[in-house]
Amino acid sequence: MANEAVPNNPILQDKATIKEAIKRHKKEVYTPVVPEQQFGFIHNNVDCIGCRACEIACKDKNGLPPGPRFRRVMYVEGGTYPAVYAYKVNMSCNHCAEPACLPTCPTGAIYKRKQDGIVDIDSSLCIGCRRCEAACPFGAPQFIPEQNIVSKCNMCVDEIDAGRKPYCVMACMMRVLDIGPIDKLREGNYATKAMAPHEKDKLVRQVKSMADPELTNPSIVFVAHSQGHVDKPKEPQ
Amino acid sequence: MNTSTDKWWIGVLAIVVAVIGGLGIHFMSNPGGTATPPQEKAAASTTEMQAQTPAPSAPTTSATDTPAPQQQTSISPEQAPETQPVAATLSAATSDYGQARRDPIHFKPAIDQATDADCLKCHQEVLDTNTRDTSPAGLKKVNTLAWYQTLDTYEGEQMTFHQRHLTAPFIKKVANMSCTTCHQGNDPRDEVSGTAVDTQTDLTMRKMVDPNTCLMCHGQFPYQNMGLPGPWHESGAAFQNNCLLCHAAIRTTRHKVNFLNAAGIEQEGVANSDSCYGCHGGRAWYRTSFPYPRHPWAGSGGTVPEWAKNRPTESDLRFLIEGSKP
Repeated sequence: MANEAVPNNPILQDKATIKEAIKRHKKEVYTPVVPEQQFGFIHNNVDCIGCRACEIACKDKNGLPPGPRFRRVMYVEGGTYPAVYAYKVNMSCNHCAEPACLPTCPTGAIYKRKQDGIVDIDSSLCIGCRRCEAACPFGAPQFIPEQNIVSKCNMCVDEIDAGRKPYCVMACMMRVLDIGPIDKLREGNYATKAMAPHEKDKLVRQVKSMADPELTNPSIVFVAHSQGHVDKPKEPQ
Repeated sequence: MNTSTDKWWIGVLAIVVAVIGGLGIHFMSNPGGTATPPQEKAAASTTEMQAQTPAPSAPTTSATDTPAPQQQTSISPEQAPETQPVAATLSAATSDYGQARRDPIHFKPAIDQATDADCLKCHQEVLDTNTRDTSPAGLKKVNTLAWYQTLDTYEGEQMTFHQRHLTAPFIKKVANMSCTTCHQGNDPRDEVSGTAVDTQTDLTMRKMVDPNTCLMCHGQFPYQNMGLPGPWHESGAAFQNNCLLCHAAIRTTRHKVNFLNAAGIEQEGVANSDSCYGCHGGRAWYRTSFPYPRHPWAGSGGTVPEWAKNRPTESDLRFLIEGSKP
């Protein structure tokens, strides 16, 4: 890289400059973007009926083929008769405070917005190395084999910019899925139909079988089912 | 004459047609018959499965504009290391995707015995599918570099993460990774585990790999535990960017797990500290560090520091080298 002759073509000179700049930054770590406010999701695990309208709305909005699902409704069922239970966990990209996907991207296709903390991927810059898919603890990046690229939820950033809510939220007939500033959602101070006032104490940032939120500090909060509580819910740091 | 007995031949004809039709369907659905070798049938069934269900985890197609070379990085099932025969029963002849997902090889205990060859019989495409040469917008992969790829240990062109973890030259020097080092099965019921008596309890929602496995080599540099003034990119210069300046003397039982090549790591670490730093903060994905098992070194004293309290003293059982178990 450093031994390459400097080309005459100005465009190639720019590329050489970029490569040299990368080399100068050796061993410097990625510094997470600290957004002005962080948007996140709230999902009511108990009241969700698992209709998957949010999944379909998402696929419709993003033109996804069969296979990749930016949003996924997971059915959790268990117990032994007569003490059986069922609830749903609904996750897409959690637009983490310190997303694991972002620093893995060799092309800079993944970025975090300063104004609202949305983590977006410019799939037109993706070369399909799938590192982000491996790194994400919550399975958000989705590989699209037909194009050999990765894509993911961007919280319908165009809708957000237009002052509306994402397609998944708008499609939720039970009103159990919503977005809002994550700090207010965690405190239970954000007015949302996804949570009844008496459910404020049931808010958790992790449910059973979910990856440790300490890894990336995901921007999501759940109204958890009694069987979905982890032993020791951790508070965000 | 009775008209109903006159038309006995219609019944016979119907039976003959039914028999011929049945045989035809049978042979069309099993074109290879019983003489087809199991491996060929596995390949055939895999192709069929993939054609039916383009699962994200089992890509088969490269981008149409990237006719990437496939031979150089692939491990054929024959090349992959052979160990014990697997108890799994992945039917070579099955063409049913749902049935294949529920094959015992995808669950414990059979997955613990699975070799790479067993996995690659159906999943060879994870190694054969290369990155695109250019992104859809025209960005060439030769001009791209993730920040952690500026480490000295990074070499060669962009590869997929499966290739980097299994076939890249550097990983072969320092590790003995196999498919089951990371993959411990998954629950076909939307990757939620532990909710019924017949499902595994240690799976992670919506993931094929437990992120804690990744954390072992993709966690933060725990400079606070070492008493360093700051992260390695700030404090490394004070130590000549040489890990062994301290850790040549402060030595414990290191890297003695079955997915690492302890001798290779020692050798690479002497040559370049980026080989150490790579897995100890240099390639960090997450904001935490992995709580490695506590192996106090000679002369460390009997006091357990705060950060080491409640840590295990041995690695996970499945990572222990055979014969080294306590």
